[in-house]
Amino acid sequence: MKGKSGGKDFCGFALPGLFCFAAVVIVPFLYGVYLTLTDWNGVSNVKNFIGGTNFLSVLKDAQFWSSLWLTFKYVVVVVIAVNILAFAIAYLLTRGFKGQNFFRAGFFTPNLIGGLVLGYIWQFVFSRVFVGIGEATGWELFGASWLSDPTLAFVALVFVSVWQLSGYMILIYVAGFMGLNKDVMEAASIDGATGWIKLKKIVLPLMMSSITICLFLTLSRAFMVYDVNLSLTAGAPYGTTEMAAMHVYEKAFTSRQFGVGQAEALILFVIVAIISGIQVYLTKKREVEA
Amino acid sequence: MKKQVLTKCLASGLSVAMLATTLSGCRFGFASDPDDPNEVTAEEPIDTSVDTFQYDTSLSGTSITLLNSKAEIQTALVEMGKAFEEKSGVHVEVMPVTDGDSPYTKVVSLYNSGNPPTLSILDTTDIIALAEEKGADLTGESWTAEAEGYLTEIDGKIYSFPLCIEGRGVIYNGEVIEEALGQPFDPAAIRTQDDFVALLDRLVEAGLDHPISMAKEDWSLGAHHLQYIYETYDGTSDGAAECIELIKNDQLDLTTYDRMDQFLNMFDILMKYNVAYRDPLGADYDEMAIDLADGKTAFWFNGNWAWPNLAEADAEEEDNYGFLPYFLNNDEGDFVNRQIQASPSKQIMLDGIVATEQEQAAAKQFLNWMVFSEIGQQMLVKTCKIIPPFHNNPYEPSDPLSRDIYNQVQAGTAFNASAIVPNDHWAVLGAAMQKYLAGRSDRAELIQSIESYWDDQG
Repeated sequence: MKGKSGGKDFCGFALPGLFCFAAVVIVPFLYGVYLTLTDWNGVSNVKNFIGGTNFLSVLKDAQFWSSLWLTFKYVVVVVIAVNILAFAIAYLLTRGFKGQNFFRAGFFTPNLIGGLVLGYIWQFVFSRVFVGIGEATGWELFGASWLSDPTLAFVALVFVSVWQLSGYMILIYVAGFMGLNKDVMEAASIDGATGWIKLKKIVLPLMMSSITICLFLTLSRAFMVYDVNLSLTAGAPYGTTEMAAMHVYEKAFTSRQFGVGQAEALILFVIVAIISGIQVYLTKKREVEA
Repeated sequence: MKKQVLTKCLASGLSVAMLATTLSGCRFGFASDPDDPNEVTAEEPIDTSVDTFQYDTSLSGTSITLLNSKAEIQTALVEMGKAFEEKSGVHVEVMPVTDGDSPYTKVVSLYNSGNPPTLSILDTTDIIALAEEKGADLTGESWTAEAEGYLTEIDGKIYSFPLCIEGRGVIYNGEVIEEALGQPFDPAAIRTQDDFVALLDRLVEAGLDHPISMAKEDWSLGAHHLQYIYETYDGTSDGAAECIELIKNDQLDLTTYDRMDQFLNMFDILMKYNVAYRDPLGADYDEMAIDLADGKTAFWFNGNWAWPNLAEADAEEEDNYGFLPYFLNNDEGDFVNRQIQASPSKQIMLDGIVATEQEQAAAKQFLNWMVFSEIGQQMLVKTCKIIPPFHNNPYEPSDPLSRDIYNQVQAGTAFNASAIVPNDHWAVLGAAMQKYLAGRSDRAELIQSIESYWDDQG
């Protein structure tokens, strides 16, 4: 009887969700895996099975590996910068001063702007406003557009991503700070814990659940960055800021090698899944309850 | 208390900085694509009093779709569709390719979703990739006779309607040159690369510090500049295809190919006199139009599609703009020093897979209407502001750049060569050209990039 009703409940509640999940995630994913084994060009009605040839082509695609390496560097810098900045600002915004909600909204605003628009706004800032400042002041740093130098274009990309992603992470950290048990904090203060010790021994362990979420979100978003990459630099100058996701798109749609592009996308997915999985496992292990 | 004030100040400072940078984007324009739909200029009246076109009344009530990848004529195409509907009863739904989508990606996704457009405006490369599999055979259509020399044949069949001729070269602003030199400017007097350099030097002496603008965009460098090496092989599309085959098969060594060396010599000249010589990769496309219209520069390497940008920068249709060839050497007899490149660019493909016979017939009638009806002929030139490749169209374009191309095509001082290259040619080799433009690679490295690109194409 119990089993029967459980089955009914499962069908009633989980099946619609499972169906949607399968339809929009599982099936396209499996179809994508199948495409990596074919020579499909995106148009043809015929898909010839070619085994692992596409994966061999990926191995030979030097540009893919260099864009993947660039993506790794980008991810490391962005994940660290976003989380430190968001954590610090969230800490400031939970001190209880007047008008802090206004500031929270202010910091969140960049997150509401789509990545494409954001990229174009900052392209204008880097190419025109900064150059204008450089011309007026003679500062060498702003003498030429940041987007025309490979290193500075990378810095610009990181800067904009940090600016965009921080707002969302601030919200999560703010929620985490607000959920901190006041009794525990008070007990720590009575026991003489202050400043750094309090942060390290009390606040950080209690905030681990927020850190897990924020690290996961920033990791996956940074790995899959495309919109800001496209609108801010579009890979320029001379392809030096082309991240992995953009390279995959270019391979599939511009070079019209769907199979190879799909194989690269699959490799990127596996890398992101493994790294995110390890991160969630490690940070979850450190989560404690008050 | 003190700590709280400090915290508040810090938070407000950061917040204001973030908001200010957010809002700053709303106040200024962005660097735009040359195909900006908002940059349409004043409309010219269309005379609808005469219309001898024979409409097929059985097609009235049919609805067809047109995928438009030429954003600057979106509004004009909608108007044209309305005019055609009023006369024929066939509804034409014009679908734009939105920003961020490539025309090919868009049309492929529409095919894959089982809902392709009846007609698609695409680049020649896309037509070649799709036509045999998806396109309807248009070989027997009557307009083909009017577009001789501008048709793209695939295995002896015609699958596309050539929509417009576009040309490129070194755009000059005659008034700026005349004002600087204090004498009339005759573009025909510049016949060689040395003549061109001498003119540039005189302009520099006259106070125009760096008289040339050149775009840093990969589509400009990879497609419009670099493709001269194929297209000037003998000045024909067949010659360009042969040149590409020879490079692919390692039968043409780019290190000794004369056109490669000549092309780089011309490119070096453009680089030397580039107004953005300090930061060539920071050059802004919109500013180039303003610089040319305002007289800060006298030349801009571009094509007739740049007119909307110039018009936006207050250039008038009566102004003296035109094209100089892309001078490759000092031989006055070489066609490249006398002729500019002009060839059909955008083409229309008719879907032969999903569209019903009725829809295909309606679409064919629309194509014929553009070529043979008095209204269609006028609207192509006056509303869409394009140069149609059809010999029977008597209307002249009104803007000076298109007019110059039109006149040069009529006078035979334009060569019709269009290199059919893989779709990623402009992106991959555009990046290699950017590196060369920035001075971060030399000729040997650039040539190596081009050769390895073609090696990868098998």
